[in-house]
Amino acid sequence: MDNSVKQNATEHKSVPTYCYNCVAGPDPMRVEVVNGVATQVMPNFDAAAAHPGRGRPCVKAYGLVQKTYNPNRVLQPMKRTNPKKGMKEDPGFEPIGWDEALTLLSDKLNGIRDRGLIDQAGMPRVAATFGHGGTPAYYMGTFPAFLASWGPIDFSFGSGQGVKCVHSEHLYGEFWHRAFTVAADTPNTRFVLSIGSNVDATGGPCAIARHADARVRGYKRVQVEPHQSVTGATSSEWVPIRPKTDPAFMFALIHCLLHEQDRTRLDIAFLRELTSSPYLVGPDGLYLRDKVSDKPLVWDQSSNQAVAFDTAGIVPALEGHYRIAQAITVSADDQRQELQDVDGCTAFSKLLEHVAKYTPEWAASVCDIPAETIRRIAGEYLDNACVGETIDIEGTELPFRPVAVTLGKSVNNGWGAYECCWARTVMAVLVGALEVPGGTLGTTVRLNRPHEDRHLSIKPGDDGFMAQKLNPTDKENWVAEPTGRNAHRTLVPIVGSSAWSQALGPTQLAWMFQRERPEGFNLPEPTLPDVWFIFRTNPAISFWDTRNLNDLIANFPYTVSFAYTVDETNWMADLLLPEATDLEATQLIPVGGTKFVEQFWKHKGAILRQKVVEPQGEAKDFTWISTQLAQRTGLLEKYNNAINRGAGGVAPLKGEGYDFSLEAEAVDPPEKIWDAICKAASAQLSDSKEVHDLAWFKENGLYLAPVSQQSWYLYPTMKKQGLRFEMPYQERLLRIGKELGNRLHEKQITWWDAQLSEYSALPEWHDIPGRWETALVNEGANPEDYPFWLLATKSMQYHTGANVSIQLMREVSQNVRGHAGVIMNNRSAERLGIEQGDRVAIRSHIGVTFGRAELVSGVRPDTLVIVGQFDHWATPYAKDLEMPSLNTIAPMSLELTDATGSGADIVRVTINKVKGGVR
Amino acid sequence: MTRYAMAIDLRRCVGCQTCTAACKQKNATPPGVQWRRVLDIESGEFPDVRRSFMPVACMHCDEPPCEEVCPTTATYKRADGLVAINYELCIGCANCVMACPYEARSIAHEANFAYGDQPMPNERAMFDPERINVATKCTFCIERIDQAEALGMTPGLDHQVTPACVNSCLSGAMVFGDLNDPESTISQLLKETKSYRQSEELLTGPGVYYIWDKA
Amino acid sequence: MKRNRTSSAAYSPRIQRNWDWRAAGNFIGGGAGSGLIISATLMSPSGFDALPFVFLGLILVAAGLFCVWLEIGRPWRALNVLKHFSTSWMSREAWVAPLLFFLGILTLLFEPLLVWLVALLAAAFLYSQSRILRADKGIPAWRHPRAGHLVVLTGLTEGCGLLVLLLPLFDQLQWVVWGVFLLLLAGRAVAWRVYREGLAQAKVPQASQKRLAGIDREFLLVGHVLPALLLAMALIVPEAAMLAGLLGMLAGAWMKYNLITRAAFTQGFTLQHAPVRGQPAPQSRPALN
Repeated sequence: MDNSVKQNATEHKSVPTYCYNCVAGPDPMRVEVVNGVATQVMPNFDAAAAHPGRGRPCVKAYGLVQKTYNPNRVLQPMKRTNPKKGMKEDPGFEPIGWDEALTLLSDKLNGIRDRGLIDQAGMPRVAATFGHGGTPAYYMGTFPAFLASWGPIDFSFGSGQGVKCVHSEHLYGEFWHRAFTVAADTPNTRFVLSIGSNVDATGGPCAIARHADARVRGYKRVQVEPHQSVTGATSSEWVPIRPKTDPAFMFALIHCLLHEQDRTRLDIAFLRELTSSPYLVGPDGLYLRDKVSDKPLVWDQSSNQAVAFDTAGIVPALEGHYRIAQAITVSADDQRQELQDVDGCTAFSKLLEHVAKYTPEWAASVCDIPAETIRRIAGEYLDNACVGETIDIEGTELPFRPVAVTLGKSVNNGWGAYECCWARTVMAVLVGALEVPGGTLGTTVRLNRPHEDRHLSIKPGDDGFMAQKLNPTDKENWVAEPTGRNAHRTLVPIVGSSAWSQALGPTQLAWMFQRERPEGFNLPEPTLPDVWFIFRTNPAISFWDTRNLNDLIANFPYTVSFAYTVDETNWMADLLLPEATDLEATQLIPVGGTKFVEQFWKHKGAILRQKVVEPQGEAKDFTWISTQLAQRTGLLEKYNNAINRGAGGVAPLKGEGYDFSLEAEAVDPPEKIWDAICKAASAQLSDSKEVHDLAWFKENGLYLAPVSQQSWYLYPTMKKQGLRFEMPYQERLLRIGKELGNRLHEKQITWWDAQLSEYSALPEWHDIPGRWETALVNEGANPEDYPFWLLATKSMQYHTGANVSIQLMREVSQNVRGHAGVIMNNRSAERLGIEQGDRVAIRSHIGVTFGRAELVSGVRPDTLVIVGQFDHWATPYAKDLEMPSLNTIAPMSLELTDATGSGADIVRVTINKVKGGVR
Repeated sequence: MTRYAMAIDLRRCVGCQTCTAACKQKNATPPGVQWRRVLDIESGEFPDVRRSFMPVACMHCDEPPCEEVCPTTATYKRADGLVAINYELCIGCANCVMACPYEARSIAHEANFAYGDQPMPNERAMFDPERINVATKCTFCIERIDQAEALGMTPGLDHQVTPACVNSCLSGAMVFGDLNDPESTISQLLKETKSYRQSEELLTGPGVYYIWDKA
Repeated sequence: MKRNRTSSAAYSPRIQRNWDWRAAGNFIGGGAGSGLIISATLMSPSGFDALPFVFLGLILVAAGLFCVWLEIGRPWRALNVLKHFSTSWMSREAWVAPLLFFLGILTLLFEPLLVWLVALLAAAFLYSQSRILRADKGIPAWRHPRAGHLVVLTGLTEGCGLLVLLLPLFDQLQWVVWGVFLLLLAGRAVAWRVYREGLAQAKVPQASQKRLAGIDREFLLVGHVLPALLLAMALIVPEAAMLAGLLGMLAGAWMKYNLITRAAFTQGFTLQHAPVRGQPAPQSRPALN
């Protein structure tokens, strides 16, 4: 026993459960309970053999004990008594009983059902916003089943997605290789070029363990980023690149690989057989196609003629220009053109010509990285690529290409992100390192289905590529009238229209258009939702221009917050409902397989979150709340049926050889619902060989079945289906960009024209940092007044943890630099007379945030960095931390929004020493 | 004779403070008292900068200066290498705090809780008044090690009898075990690697080894 | 360009915050008190004339110990301090103290000649104090051997200064004491200088050295030069010696207060070998633009 108190304990147990506070989870853990009180979090070593993080949760999990007993929790339902909303208005929350709270809410909801689920602008009357990366779903019990039973819901109002995630990677990653997020095959790789990816802070226990093993094994990781993050610290080399110039650096690397290295060092077979490199491109940039079949043509070297790419027995030419006697091209809106005796250039040669100008010397002046460093890194990448080698993965021989390129936030969102994602994927295909052991891998899918197995999302599509479910841009099917307030189906074809698509649309727009709309705006006038649900989210802190966002949130007519504490967003809420939090409620979720960020398992199964301790106060299990809402809104049958279909999150309750379905009209207690889900999940995972009930899961924590490591790599599936990666030439994107432009222009929409420029077959460098300067000028500001780039970075202690009010996190985070203020280069500070610990004001053209200067050498002299998302003014405990936040002073700007609808977490600022308190 | 010691592979450590948090929770140390922490160390000037992470705590020295100066014998060196504190003897004079070259010791002079004066249920459950006004420090989770024999388990191998920090370490940087057992994981690891100990010139014989490269 | 200080507080030397004025009070009272007893004994071999000073010396030592009693966390367990005579100089100091008081009272009440034993115990007490500091390896400015010399010498100087201050009250022969005091002042000045040189050689934390350098001028001028001049002046105006004694004593107390509470920095941490992160980075990188 750890101390005398425990020695005298009458009850002492260790309860298995999970932590899924960030997208790097879930991670198994145990909680020690002494006399009914949770006292400490521990690893769950029962899962050590299967969990890539060896059964360990990260530091955030250790805050869950304090999270449970935090005296600042909302512990009973509260209703607002002050009808005025605003930062300065005390909401006057008044405690009420659950029955009254649910009656208030169901009256609102039933009123909506009476009026119709869609309002006059065609928007859902109910909106919902959840926090980072879908993780709130793993704490909301059967609420997804309630949402599914409700009907249309608007997820447009983002809480940071699009600007705080790796947004372009989500969209283009899935497009090119079913990679909602991208990772290195760390256990097998030899060389990782990590451009701003802070995986040793945000990758969770799985990434930490895998990279630590790789370091000891001797892999090399080169970290390219303006400040030396934790990952920069643990890398072999830090290359301090100028902010937002990453595409130039990567284009120069591709230049080196293509123009300065022997061609035979590339993976010619991969390029020829698994990419569109041999496809012939006509003078107008479109594929030259077979007149009859519409299939792209390649030049067959054996017969010396152009043939359809999938003709048997051919040897397609990878390089060169050829005269093509007859071909067609298919442009936007199916415009066909017949061509004779036309010049056909292979896509690969197009690439060669395209990158010829991007020399290391050119890039050096853009990126502030010496040309010789760029050359050396390109050389090291190639030296380690092991082109031609193979590796045995569980009895199957696969290509072994142990080089990977990973990208971080701010590289991967906003302008320039498309270029980076493209360049990274090109670098992989040039050496055949895409989706093979050691290389650059996708983790999972979210825009495509099924989420649990990305291989199953691969189906043959047009032109030898996998099928894509893009939002239509053709005249007949284009969604001219938005179905959600961020217009994702109207503006962003590549985001698709699956369950996750809306939240990955241009979420800034939903907020921006509430306040001001671009000139010539002729979409339906944006409306506010009648009811807005929020859970584990605080957009008033986590999005941008947060002070103005506060005012917008104050306009929402009825906000319902499943509340842990009062915070800056639910300060404007009308109803606070305290849900039983992490250690207080029951839920079964999928675990294992491959998932972001580096969860590559050789097992998959289900893991239980259980009621480790009784809920504090009047907090209620989310499943209980959901069932009550379903009952009170007359949706019980749909709700139960949704659970029966699998909306519980793991398995349908009825499957082959088993049936644990709930009765459609039953009001079941949470334990009964989860008991059925446990049984169904175990039956499904074991092909009905084993059925484990809730009691079994409570005892054992998780149930796993083995899966093959081959599932980590798409290569075998692509080969099996005879498909090619849609690389390097983006004819499809070029075409749909034109099509989208046609649609928008037909509707007199020109305010999205700048975004249309992103749809290019081979991305060109343009002055990406200059966009921020131009934006300043357009706002009437002088860029010289804002000489620093302010970046935001993440930390393991706080990353998506919703844990700013946890004292333990605050305390331990103080040991990691950056958690006391703003990181600044020591010499730049000296020039400005700023000393370590000085109070400083960081100003952009829209506002100011205050903090303390933390001086380091490991940051560029032109760059400032703020960790996390703070600057709270309502959240108890957090509001006293005196931390600055980029979000307070970063503008939302259509001009700085890219074609995917995302913006980069970066803003031009000035900094100066101030007297007095931080506030 | 057993000599429990710890090896920390600096190549692995990412400075995440999971060990710091795990220690705080397992040992219920009050806010501000950290029996162990991970230092975030920078050297060099831009652009040639190195940043490293180094976990520090009580080094459980062979010749502990804290034990030598302790006037009450509250601090004592055990036969198995652990440096322990008998809270009932300690008078809180802080001489040991001054003697420790590793900033490992703390004295909390009053009960202090995460959210002010009132303890949360978990703090109440773990609160030990014996620890107020006396010197405290990392114990290598002595209670666990003392259970090992009765349970037939081996510290460092069996998690139940292994220090909480070692169990918690995400990167597997921390290894615990018997230095005098040539077959132990720690002995083997130290054989395969280059390591140093903090301030060896002070002749304290620290029981924590910092690994920095392969042998 | 001079490097601006960076965010390195966690591993840089930190000032100790456990011993404050109360701990310093023990070194001040104990030093001056034991120094006074020793000085008075030497000035009065028969012991009789030394009695008032012995009494005062004991009071000072007791006051110092009272200060430390106020500082310790568990004052009602204070007697546990006696348990570790074998290695702990604090324990040894604690053993010497009651013997000192016991014999001191015997001397005061019954036998002045016992003053020699009292002086011997006072010397042991003073020596113990010097060794307490030296054993504190966590504070490089204390663990330096010359710190011990300085503590002993300043204790004797403070005691002698006190004697010089108080002697006129008893109308006793003074010039010999002045001479001894002058010699002690010279000795302390040298010990101070040598000590600080030793700290520089041993590369103890700059912060410690800076704090001590910060008092150097005042300590030497007000605590040594001025008392020496006043002693010279005392040949004409004898009362000047009293001021010399007072200054010499106060300067010593002030120096010790600084040594204990303001210059006591830990050594911090150093990374002796940077960990190898996978394959090493190139040894020399060209400077960036």
